[in-house]
Amino acid sequence: MSSPLSAPSAAPASRPRPSRAPAGVRVRPQERGWAPYAFLSPYLLLTSVFFFVPFLDAIGLAFFETNGPRTRVFVGLANFHFLFTDSTFYRALWNTTVFACASVFVQLPLSMGLAILLNSSKGRLRGMLRLVLFSPNLVGQIFVGILFSTLFTPRYGLINRAFHALFGWGLEVWWLSNPWLVMPALVLTSLWVWVGFNMVYFLAALQGVDRSLEEAARIDGASEWQVFRFVTLPSMRHVTVFVVVTSVIGSYQLFELPLALLHSTEGAGPENSGLTLITYLNNVAFHLGDLGLGSAVGWIAALIIFFVSMIQIRVSRVLED
Amino acid sequence: MNPTRLVVFAALAVFAALCARSPGRTLIYLRFLLLGLAATVVLAPFAWLLAAIFKDRTVFDEYLFLPPPAEWSSRTLNLDNFRELFRGRPSVHGTAYFWQYVLNSTAYATVSTVLNLFFCSLGGFALAKYDFRGKAALLVLMLGSMTIPSALLLPPLYNMVVDLGMVDSLTGLIVPGMVSAYGIFLFRQACMSVPDEMLDAGRIDGCSEIAIYFRLVMPLVRPMAAAFCLMTFLGTWNSFFTPNVFLQTQKNFTLPIVLYMYVNDYQSNYGVFLAGTALAMLPPMVLFLALEKEFISGLTSGAVKG
Amino acid sequence: MVEKFPYGKAPFWLLAIALASVAGRWLVMGHGDARADLLIVANSPSHFEAYKNAVPRFERKHGVHVEVQFAHWTALQSRLESAMLAGADVPDLVELLEGSLGFFTRGPREDVGLLDLADRVEAEGFDRRLVASRLSSWSTVDGRIYALPNDVHPVMLAYRRDLVAQLGIDVTKLDTWDAFVEAGRRVTRDVDGDGVVDHYMIDLPYDGNWALTSLLLQHGGQLFDRAGNIAFNSDITTEVFAWYLRQTHGPRKIAYDAGWGQALGKAMVDGLVVFYWAPDWRSRFFADEVPSLAGHMALMPLPAWDKGGRRTSVWGGTGLMISRRTPRPDLAWELAKFLYFDPTEMGKRFEATNIIPVLRDAWTMPELDAPNPYYSNEPIGRMYADLAPDVPPSYVSPLTAVAGTELDEAFSRCVSYYERFGEEGLTDAIHRELSRAEAYVQRLAERANWMARAP
Repeated sequence: MSSPLSAPSAAPASRPRPSRAPAGVRVRPQERGWAPYAFLSPYLLLTSVFFFVPFLDAIGLAFFETNGPRTRVFVGLANFHFLFTDSTFYRALWNTTVFACASVFVQLPLSMGLAILLNSSKGRLRGMLRLVLFSPNLVGQIFVGILFSTLFTPRYGLINRAFHALFGWGLEVWWLSNPWLVMPALVLTSLWVWVGFNMVYFLAALQGVDRSLEEAARIDGASEWQVFRFVTLPSMRHVTVFVVVTSVIGSYQLFELPLALLHSTEGAGPENSGLTLITYLNNVAFHLGDLGLGSAVGWIAALIIFFVSMIQIRVSRVLED
Repeated sequence: MNPTRLVVFAALAVFAALCARSPGRTLIYLRFLLLGLAATVVLAPFAWLLAAIFKDRTVFDEYLFLPPPAEWSSRTLNLDNFRELFRGRPSVHGTAYFWQYVLNSTAYATVSTVLNLFFCSLGGFALAKYDFRGKAALLVLMLGSMTIPSALLLPPLYNMVVDLGMVDSLTGLIVPGMVSAYGIFLFRQACMSVPDEMLDAGRIDGCSEIAIYFRLVMPLVRPMAAAFCLMTFLGTWNSFFTPNVFLQTQKNFTLPIVLYMYVNDYQSNYGVFLAGTALAMLPPMVLFLALEKEFISGLTSGAVKG
Repeated sequence: MVEKFPYGKAPFWLLAIALASVAGRWLVMGHGDARADLLIVANSPSHFEAYKNAVPRFERKHGVHVEVQFAHWTALQSRLESAMLAGADVPDLVELLEGSLGFFTRGPREDVGLLDLADRVEAEGFDRRLVASRLSSWSTVDGRIYALPNDVHPVMLAYRRDLVAQLGIDVTKLDTWDAFVEAGRRVTRDVDGDGVVDHYMIDLPYDGNWALTSLLLQHGGQLFDRAGNIAFNSDITTEVFAWYLRQTHGPRKIAYDAGWGQALGKAMVDGLVVFYWAPDWRSRFFADEVPSLAGHMALMPLPAWDKGGRRTSVWGGTGLMISRRTPRPDLAWELAKFLYFDPTEMGKRFEATNIIPVLRDAWTMPELDAPNPYYSNEPIGRMYADLAPDVPPSYVSPLTAVAGTELDEAFSRCVSYYERFGEEGLTDAIHRELSRAEAYVQRLAERANWMARAP
């Protein structure tokens, strides 16, 4: 495929840029023509080798069955046929979608709420609280999963003990062995990790809202809630869309957190209740060695992410008008 | 009435009293209450972790956090967990020690960060301050490349790394990830706010382009450089999926892989892998505390300005 | 200098740390250790100790240096296969766990990283000299043999002799499971009227697990047959499932799940359970963990499913594989034979672990006839050796792991059914679950392009 990237000109052939130097002073175009290409050449080289080549390979790989990196046989659409008739795959798809919905409809309102609360706080307190609430995000997903797998232990874990101390029940709840409680446990853990992260975005957006607009609305007699809904929220639109889209994209790539949380079943959980799309990919591609089937799963995940992102961007444009 | 309930009731009682005294400030008090609740919920696991790693195995389940001061002794609180963690463990190639994994993780994270910093800032500068043929197309392609999930590329990338003979080494991990479109965009954002006049003045003074980059532009985008370093460091230090797939022999493992292994091996002695986890959380925390301001502004610059 | 660094302070220090850590790594790991002639990895601490002690004799005899390492099996299995496929460094000899062979033979023949030992086994007559059924766990359907079996692991029942006498059980009459269950029903009841059953006949896990497989194999059932076809959807399996459900979940159940560790020890000492599943290795485990019962325990062969039928089963096993890429395959083969079949070693091993040799020639060794004080001075070595020729084969396939999981799930669903509906329609329900499991595994079998077919 011909591409403007394929042949960076060796000879500096670009026109001299309009110079802002005082008139009469010559600027030397020759020495600058090569600069952008040279500066971008590491990126271009590395991307072509380690991104584009695998990308093209991935297109083909999905139609093969492999045994490790060296052996492959062409199977046409058999991989996709297998996936679409596999109950485990559908379970993974379902779990991941449920998690994505929880991310958007549970996590984000909490982040927004915290951002609003924090917005009214004064400088130092706000800075400190922001640091505290953001800190879980510094911990790698795998470490969070390891930590929380001990917190969810029945009887002795922090979570059960806290429930018991506050409400008098819950000591013997088997969070991670009960198929119905695995997803709530995952969602709770993800709240701990990401509420602070998204809150930081919302906070920055809130601070960028035009105060005068809000004041004008209040003067016009709008209630606080109306001010929020019709003035503040719309002006945070960009950030909100960004956060929603990245949340969904992140949800569909969830892997390390359930893997560590449900380490006794390698991420699947009892009756596959914790299995996510990428965990399925990992099992298939790297445990069973079938990189072709793994690519097929990867493609499905990529397409889902693509479509969902498109839909959301569309919806946000519609809401705009 | 256990201590937890006591504390909760006390807090609510204080809250009610304050509200009764100055009803106008109820919302403010409510705000503090809710924020306090959020902070407690967020900090509780950390506090538990900090206590757990020093607890002796025999009293681990007895006390939720630390034993009461009356019970503090070397029997209940000690460094045994760390001793066990740092003890050599058998592996296929001989005894392996925890600090080897720390070294691996450190090398991987810091080298990746430094290389990424150089290449991304270079590319971002080029995109911000130069016009060249194909620039628009490149921008579109770069944006497009950011929408591809990394898991899709992992199987073919693994194939490629095996073919190149770089599998099972840190080289194989670092090289494919040496530069990212996201990083270039961040630096492009930052470089765009550098005034053009300054660059032209530099050129007139006889500076070469690369000198302009090093002497004029980079010092001005230091906040973004710091933020980006933290981001990249976090991403590589905490990464599990790719290293787990690429690395085969135990002596090359990074911390996330090893601790995941330890979770299964030490199911009767949580303290050991929790101690390892706590240690693994330290460097990111330290770096974050040093660079917090720059990090937050760098993180949100991509989103807020749109 | 830090100030003049163009990127700022933090990047400067990161660069410094980067350079230091790379240098550090190079220093620490740059030294290529003088590579031993052979590297062997054991998967259990007891094997590790045994091999470390045995290896010096081998080293002297052959004038070589052998390195013995130990690695946990969970870490070893997944890493080994991907390392072999990626061409990374692999030890010369590795001990594998029972049932795992399929994991390594799932691909085409050229991809299997293990050395095919079939020729050597046949040339030296091991196919006759070993208990033949044990080779089944380490062979593929087309006759390649990829590991040497370490053991036979025949299963007997261990029981409390004093309890049995007290409860009026005549163990010589327990020659079929029917007789056993009948005796069990008499025994399993609340004796002192406190509402809690005082004695259970036998220790069996409620979720099936290892006991279900062991019973299935005893009855002649298999997960896969000799030709690699799915074999678990059969009447034998249905019968075993139904029997097991009745004994562990039914209204007249005779089994209790004593678990492992402290709970098991307590059950034994308290007499909560009378009979325990005892392969040779576990007989030693009981002796080590519950020394207070020394002299009170005894062993008996398993009751048979049908009168005159097989009175033993099998549980567990280890095999030793040689890497296909080892530079010294003949030396590795000598080491394998030495560690596994050398008479002195096998004698020492039996004394340390109660594990009887898989090599028939070795059954003449006197250690087997020694009276075992823990088990009421019975010559347990001889008892196990007498049962060893009957140990059922266990055919392995690349889909063994999946089939095992599906079977566990099928059983778990059958438990739910049984607890709700009891005997009504039970056989059909079990059939349904087994068929569902079979269909799932069949889909995977059809997909696999490289499954070795029977010649």
